[in-house]
Amino acid sequence: MNISVDLQREENKVVGFIEGEIDAFTAPMLREKLAEITLGDSKEIVLDLSEVSYMDSTGLGVFVGFFKNVKSENAKLKLTGLSSRLKRLFDITGLGEIMDIESSTGEVK
Amino acid sequence: MSIESSVDIITEWDIVAARQLGRNEAKEVGFGTVDQARITTAISELARNIYLYAGKGKITIERIADGAMKGIVIIAADQGPGIPDLRKVMEDGYTTSGGLGAGMPGVKRLMDDFKVDTEVGVGTTITATKWLR
Amino acid sequence: MPQEVERQYKAILRNYLEQQNELNLYEGQTFSKQLIQKNISPEEMIGIHRAALEEVVSDIPEKIEHSFDLLIEVMVRYGLALHEHQNLIQKQENFRIEMDLAANVQRTLLKTTVPQVQGLDIGMLSVPAKEMNGDYVHFLSDSQSVGIGVADVIGKGIPAALCMSMIKNGMDSVDGAHVDPAIVLDVINRIVERSVTDSMFVSMIYGSYDATTHTFTYASAGHEPALHYSLQEGTFHELFIKGLLLGVLPQTTYQSQTVRLEIGDFVVLMTDGVTECRSQDGFIEMEKVMKIIEDVKTESAQEMVEYVYKELILLQDFELRDDFTLVIVKRAV
Repeated sequence: MNISVDLQREENKVVGFIEGEIDAFTAPMLREKLAEITLGDSKEIVLDLSEVSYMDSTGLGVFVGFFKNVKSENAKLKLTGLSSRLKRLFDITGLGEIMDIESSTGEVK
Repeated sequence: MSIESSVDIITEWDIVAARQLGRNEAKEVGFGTVDQARITTAISELARNIYLYAGKGKITIERIADGAMKGIVIIAADQGPGIPDLRKVMEDGYTTSGGLGAGMPGVKRLMDDFKVDTEVGVGTTITATKWLR
Repeated sequence: MPQEVERQYKAILRNYLEQQNELNLYEGQTFSKQLIQKNISPEEMIGIHRAALEEVVSDIPEKIEHSFDLLIEVMVRYGLALHEHQNLIQKQENFRIEMDLAANVQRTLLKTTVPQVQGLDIGMLSVPAKEMNGDYVHFLSDSQSVGIGVADVIGKGIPAALCMSMIKNGMDSVDGAHVDPAIVLDVINRIVERSVTDSMFVSMIYGSYDATTHTFTYASAGHEPALHYSLQEGTFHELFIKGLLLGVLPQTTYQSQTVRLEIGDFVVLMTDGVTECRSQDGFIEMEKVMKIIEDVKTESAQEMVEYVYKELILLQDFELRDDFTLVIVKRAV
C-alpha cells in the first residue's frame, strides 16, 4: 500500500494530485508530504483526490489538520474529485460544511 | 598515595595528548590492553565534551591506591556552561552521542565509579575511577 | 569466570588451528551464545583471542601483535553501543508492560453496563481491533429514559485513550438521561476542543430514549448516522443529521431530531468498524449489513449485535481492521 502526492505550481496556486489509499498506515506519510508544501506567494491549495480509492477516519484527520494550518496562513484549501464514498465521509462528519469540497461529478457543494 | 599529572584541553590535538597521558599512567598501574583502551576511550569522550561544549578545560590523571587496590582516576574540569539537565544527559540514546553508545552513559559504563559536579554558568567537574582487578 | 571463558576459547582455537573443519567453527558459534549471556563485550573478546593466540602460537609477527591494539580500540565503542542497545531493549519491555497496565486501567475505567429500562431491550458489543479501544459507549439512565453515547476517537494509542476519559468525564457531568442530546454534544465539544491537538478528533452520536413517549431523540457530531428500523414497513431509515466532529471548532452548536418507535422497531448505533468493512472483493455495502441485521430482527437485541459481529467478521476473513461497536435499542412493548 502506498500513497503519492504530485505537486504542481500554477499561477497563484499549488495543485496536488493524491493517489492511493489513505488509512492508518499511509496517513502519516501523507501528513508528512503535505507538511512539506510551501505556500510561497500562492494563496490557494487545490488537492485532487480523484485517484484516492479509499480513505478512513485517520485520513480525514490529516486533511482537517492540514486545513487548519492552511487557514492559519490565510490561504484557501480546496479538495476536488471526491468519489461518492469520500463525499459521504465529508458530509457525515460535517467537514463538508466548513471545507471547500467538490465531488468528481463536478457538482459544486 | 597519589601521583597526578594533567593536560590542558584547548585544541582537538590536546585530546590526543590526554589519551597518551592516560595510557601511560594506566600501563604503569598495570592495566591490560583492553582496559587501557577503555580508559583512553573514556578520556577521549570527556576531553571531547570539554572541547565541544566548554571551549577549554583540563584533564587530570591520578594514580591511586587503597590498601592492596590500585587504580586510576580521570578528572575532567571546565568552567563552561554547566549541564542544565543532568538526568537527560545520563540517559541512554540521548542525542549528543548520536545513539552511538558513547557520551556520558558510555563513560560511566567504561569506568567503575563516576561522579558529576555541575552548576549552570559555573562549570563541570567529572571524576571517573577505574580499579585494577 | 573470565578464566573459564579464556580456557574454553583457547581449546576451541587450538582445535581449529590444527584441524580447520566446520565442527570447530560450529563450536565457536555455540560458544558465542555463552559470551553474550555473560555480557562479555567485543573488545574483551578480542583481548581473550589475543591472549589465547599468544599461548597457542609461539611465533606471532610483532606487527600482527600490535594490530590487536588498534582492533581493541576500535571495538570499545561497539561494546558501548551493544550495552546501550540492551539497555534500551529492557526499557522498551518496561514500556510494553506499562502499556498493558494502562490498557487494563482504561478497560476498568471505561467499563459501562447496559441499563435495564422497562419496555426496552438494549444490546451492545464493542470489540477493539488492537489493544486499546478507540470506540467508547456510555449509558445514562433513570426510571423512564436512557441516554446512549457512542464515540469514535480518530487517532490511536495512548492519546486516544486519554481523550476517551475526557468524554467519560463530560458524560458524567450530564444531568440525567433526559437532557437534550444537542446540549450534551455542545458540552462535550467544549471539553474536547480545549484539550486535543490538531490531528485528533472525535465523532460521537448521542441519543436519548423516552420510555413513556416511545421516542428517540438524537444528535450527531460527525458520526456515522444511526438507523431506524420500522417493523411495519420492513425498512431501514437513515437518521441523518448535520453536526461537525468534536474538537474541530469551539463555537459549534448541535441540533437534535426525534423519531417515534413502534413495538418491534429498533435503532442501530454504530461506528465505522461496522460500516467500513472490507472483504476481499471490496467494501461490504451498507445494504448487506442492513440485510444481516434484518435477518435476526426478532431475536433479542444482544443476540442481534452478536450475530451481526459474527457474520461481518466471517465476511472479512476474521480480520478486524477497525474497532467495532454496535448498539441496538429495541422497543419491546
